[in-house]
Amino acid sequence: MSDSDTTSPAPENSPGQQTHFGFKQVDKSQKASLVANVFDSVAAKYDVMNDLMSLGVHRLWKRYTIDCSGVRAGHKVLDIAGGTGDLTAKFSRMVGPTGSVTLADINLSMLKVGRDKLRDKGLVSNIDYVQADAESLPFPDNTFDVVTMAFGLRNVTEKQNALDSIYRVLKPGGRLLVLEFSKPASEHLSKLYDIYSFHILPRMGQVVANDEESYRYLAESIRMHPDQETLKGMFEQAGFEQCDYSNLTGGIVALHRGYKF
Amino acid sequence: MPASALFTATAEAAVNRILTLDEDSAGRLAALEGQRLVLFLDELPAGLTLIFSKRVDIHTEPRSHPEVVADIDTHTCCIRTSVSVLPKLTQTSQLTQLIRQQALDLDGELSIAQKVAALFGQLDTDPEEWLSDYIGDIAAHQAFSSAEKFKQSLMQVLGRTRAGITNTITEEKPIGVGKLAMLHFSDEVSILRDDIQRFEARLNALDKEQ
Repeated sequence: MSDSDTTSPAPENSPGQQTHFGFKQVDKSQKASLVANVFDSVAAKYDVMNDLMSLGVHRLWKRYTIDCSGVRAGHKVLDIAGGTGDLTAKFSRMVGPTGSVTLADINLSMLKVGRDKLRDKGLVSNIDYVQADAESLPFPDNTFDVVTMAFGLRNVTEKQNALDSIYRVLKPGGRLLVLEFSKPASEHLSKLYDIYSFHILPRMGQVVANDEESYRYLAESIRMHPDQETLKGMFEQAGFEQCDYSNLTGGIVALHRGYKF
Repeated sequence: MPASALFTATAEAAVNRILTLDEDSAGRLAALEGQRLVLFLDELPAGLTLIFSKRVDIHTEPRSHPEVVADIDTHTCCIRTSVSVLPKLTQTSQLTQLIRQQALDLDGELSIAQKVAALFGQLDTDPEEWLSDYIGDIAAHQAFSSAEKFKQSLMQVLGRTRAGITNTITEEKPIGVGKLAMLHFSDEVSILRDDIQRFEARLNALDKEQ
């Protein structure tokens, strides 16, 4: 399933073009601000809710992503939609003083939470913070050795534009890793997951973050996100090679990888 | 869920927890800042990378041993060995001897391996002190005294079991019935059974004649 449901050749983000925001249809020009509202609302409780929603398993998904990244000392890493900086913290130590990590997020609230968290951990020397839209990254061509995007791509209005933009900023030989919710491989798991997502998750959001709607959007946006094979095709369309993916926790989450040669 | 991620997460949490129990470890860790040790154990399917900063990060190494060795830099040491050799690595003086014995392949900076050996070999931890922060001095002391008593009892039971097994192997087994003797006995029982059957048949035949 494509993020864009229209076939109109009209320019991007022009009024009238529709896209989904969860299960709702909205103007493309509105989606970014609607997503921003969601993350403004949940930023303060983001880490707590992640731990609660996934029972801490999100830490293992992210660790697996880091293991697959092949990041080494001296590398330049871009962590898009880095949110509260879970991946950036690890990458900062992995690249060492000779490398650098750029934490990019379109949402200023999330970026501030991430910056404060990383500074509290004493991580200051090799991290840059950039408020940036994944669809038009403000970096020169061939800049980064590794680009990661964990749980961010489904919120982007034009996912293909984001993949194209990432491809541009990656150095030849660099790799992209996208960790994102996906489609469970088993029907039984899928049914259980639906019950959890649409009945339990919004209530948890209401109790912990006092925000049921944002967590209902989370569940809906996951269902609207491209499945594993579709996203792999989008990687290939952007120009990535040797694309593959690994299903984690029965396909609830998938890690997609692609290389720029 | 990849088991490797769970394994490295657990190992990383344990290592950093243990290091916090020894205040002096911070100094030894500082000497390793910015360096990394890639460890390939024969028993594990992939290597482990230990990255040293103010803490130790442990990750699965995606590259093979030859790939790491081919691309090694001055901030990295790569070791290939087996789990049984690991405890010996805490004694820095044994490193060169282990390399000579071919129990250890070491590439890159030897000094990193020596510093890592010192980091863990010189650990001076007091778990009772650590536990007392959470449950109080008396409870912590009692918990450790009980654990020590349990350990002694367990060691006694294990000692008796080991002695029993040793006695069985060294004393009783040699005088026990061997496999050949058992086969011979079984053959003799079979012959005796056949003789009895023949004898019964003959008796029955004699009864009928009378």
